[in-house]
Amino acid sequence: MLKKRGLWWIFGPVVLAFVMITALFLAPFSLNYLSNKDIQKASVSFSKNVFKGESMKMAAFSDSKTKYVPFFGSSELLRLDAMHPSVLAAKYKRNYQPFLLGQAGTESLSHYLGMQEMTPALHKKQAVFIVSQQWFTKRDSKWAFSQFYSPLQTVNWLRNIKTISATDRFIATRLLEQKQISDNTFYARLITKIKNNQSLSGTDQNLLILRNRMLVREDQLFSNFAFSNNWNKQVEPALKGLPKKDNVSLLEQEAIRVAKKQTGNNKFGIKNSFFKTRVKPSFKKLENSQSHFDYRQSDEYSDFQAVLQEFAKEHTDVLFIIQPVNKKWSKYTGLNTKKYYQSVNKVKKQLKSQGFNNIADFSHDGGHKYFMQDTIHMGWRGWIAADTKIKPFFEHGYQETNYKINDNYLSKKWQNLMPTDTNLKNFK
Amino acid sequence: MLNLQPYADPQYFIILLLALIPLAVGLYFGKRFAWYEVVVSLVFIFLMFDGEKYHEGIALIIYMIWQWLLVWSYTLYRKRNNQTWIFYSATILAILPLVLIKVAPVADWAKVSSLLGFMGISYLTFRSVGMVMEIRDGSIQAFNPWNFLRFMLFMPTISSGPIDRYRRFVKDIESAPERDKYIEMLGKAVKYFFLGFLYKFIISHVLGTLLMPNVEKLAILSAHVHGGWSWWIIAYMYIYGLNLFFDFAGYSLFAVATGYVMGIEVPMNFNMPFLSKNLKDFWNRWHMTLSFWFRDFVFMRLVFLMMKKKWFKSRVTTSNIAYIINMLVMGFWHGLKWYYIAYGLFHGIGLVVNDMWLRYKKKHKLPHNKFTNALAIIITFNVVMVSFLLFSGILDKIWFHSFR
Repeated sequence: MLKKRGLWWIFGPVVLAFVMITALFLAPFSLNYLSNKDIQKASVSFSKNVFKGESMKMAAFSDSKTKYVPFFGSSELLRLDAMHPSVLAAKYKRNYQPFLLGQAGTESLSHYLGMQEMTPALHKKQAVFIVSQQWFTKRDSKWAFSQFYSPLQTVNWLRNIKTISATDRFIATRLLEQKQISDNTFYARLITKIKNNQSLSGTDQNLLILRNRMLVREDQLFSNFAFSNNWNKQVEPALKGLPKKDNVSLLEQEAIRVAKKQTGNNKFGIKNSFFKTRVKPSFKKLENSQSHFDYRQSDEYSDFQAVLQEFAKEHTDVLFIIQPVNKKWSKYTGLNTKKYYQSVNKVKKQLKSQGFNNIADFSHDGGHKYFMQDTIHMGWRGWIAADTKIKPFFEHGYQETNYKINDNYLSKKWQNLMPTDTNLKNFK
Repeated sequence: MLNLQPYADPQYFIILLLALIPLAVGLYFGKRFAWYEVVVSLVFIFLMFDGEKYHEGIALIIYMIWQWLLVWSYTLYRKRNNQTWIFYSATILAILPLVLIKVAPVADWAKVSSLLGFMGISYLTFRSVGMVMEIRDGSIQAFNPWNFLRFMLFMPTISSGPIDRYRRFVKDIESAPERDKYIEMLGKAVKYFFLGFLYKFIISHVLGTLLMPNVEKLAILSAHVHGGWSWWIIAYMYIYGLNLFFDFAGYSLFAVATGYVMGIEVPMNFNMPFLSKNLKDFWNRWHMTLSFWFRDFVFMRLVFLMMKKKWFKSRVTTSNIAYIINMLVMGFWHGLKWYYIAYGLFHGIGLVVNDMWLRYKKKHKLPHNKFTNALAIIITFNVVMVSFLLFSGILDKIWFHSFR
């Protein structure tokens, strides 16, 4: 008898732990409560947990008090200075508040997957999408993908597939190129099915439901582990400096005043602190370092197409913002402007030909004073210029969309097309 | 294709423990199902080296045939004769595959790496070299091909140790433990598994996956700005060093626990190394099966050799030289990189200094109390951390590779 008890003493706690953890993961009720303040903090947190997760985003986009809208982008979103869209919206109590999705390294593929867990927030709603030409590199464009990859998004994507579209097959191919996915037997098997145009079986669907349940719970438990102080440390102080009235010329004055103070140690109009830490140490080496940069041919164009298809599917009313590069800086680093503008034309062709006509193209404004905060990111006056498009966009409210998706943009032919005027005109 | 890397994720533990249930039930009732143990081991080894890693699997088979023939023929030879040069040749031949693997990346022999390389080659080499030496000593006398395979390919420890000894291992597999003893082992196994989960999946995840990449980036970036040095390097040093412990100690705990479930008392690898009072104490607590292996098969043998040949008059010189060679060999074993070798040299010199200090302390009857104890622990910890900073290779990245 004593020996039998011995075994129970050893394994009883283990069994109990498993029962408890199963109960925790499968319990049908929500485990977390997100306050308005939590959401507000998360909206400018750039936390990877928030980006990868679902619970925080959905809590924000269904918030009844503040109307959070998704701002998709990359590193420019991090520049939380005085004229940042989040600051302006908060200061003037606009009818929207940006929920920033993206940071250095997030590109179309990460955004496409991220959208899969927030489709209700996109369906017949408005969104802003900031494009950086730097995404469209010829090689290694997916260097940061692994950092932003989330199994939950993959599960949601798989579950959202009703009939397999060209985009789904394209995304399946792209995902299988990523090690994290090809190494995982479960996901690799299901995604290979999609790639081969086979629909998932009932068992697959049930397994996905179970996975989803576990991952959502994990997300609920851990996604607000984002100890971000950006709101208190950057947004709050910025609010105080802004003019009382929401007026463009007053804002311009303030932007110039602030920018003047923060620049001056370099001839490029780059913010002093950025120049000192990120540029100066290798300043000599950077001369002509970008002469071989070329954004005209990239598989990113097709990833971007997947994003467009998702917007079309959800009838999302989107404002696209195309960022410039710092003109003086690109001259110093030898960036070929002609090639750069051609890549912008390629993006615009892809947008316009499919009915995405809300485009704020600032690609030619990188030479204006205080427009750029550093080498490739909009700052002070750049944000104000963006605001003159963003503010009316939301004041107008949601407009019916009329998108016509063309799957040819998923092709290698489009990815590799040289965007000369004639080539662009002839591409159908 | 299903591929299972040892102790990599929760799924692995579930599959592993389910597979071990029949074995455990047998052991509980005093029976050891040797054939079942071998089949399970082989299946899991196959799952480690299948799919994309099939060439590692083939390398493992080639390697095993090599070692098997070598150890067998040396045992046969040793029964009749005992020439030194044959012993040296056998030892060299046993180490040869490992040496080739270590030289391959430096010499750019891609073919050698893919033909001979597999995960765990070092740990198998320790086992077979240890056997060759014990055969020479006469403490292993017969070659049992079956036991040899079970020892070499013992699944829980195949890829990263702990390094067991043949005679100890064989004693375990020849019988089943008593029921009380086995229950005690199961209790320890559960404890070690969960401690391992804490170490590897929680602490090491925070340190190694969440913190380390960011701190490394900051360290490299700001060192780049400030001419090769930054305070972030210090932060990186502690994070790297602590992570090294929690990651490896967690892994070792899994291997030991799995061994216990299989009724084998795999030796422990760590014994609170950061509470060591001096460097010698540290090596008795850190990666113990490796350092004891080096102590028994490198250090001691060097000392005996040097004493026998009377190369040095003083015992102190003899042991100092043995320390330095011993640690240098360990450094080389980690890889042919300057920072691994420097790490070995650092510890070799460290042990010499440590011995000097201990002699000085004894002679001068220095005070010994709680406070000096704590101070000793703090100093040892920090010295060890500095050595891990060397070991991490971050200095190589900062100093010798331009940062993009």
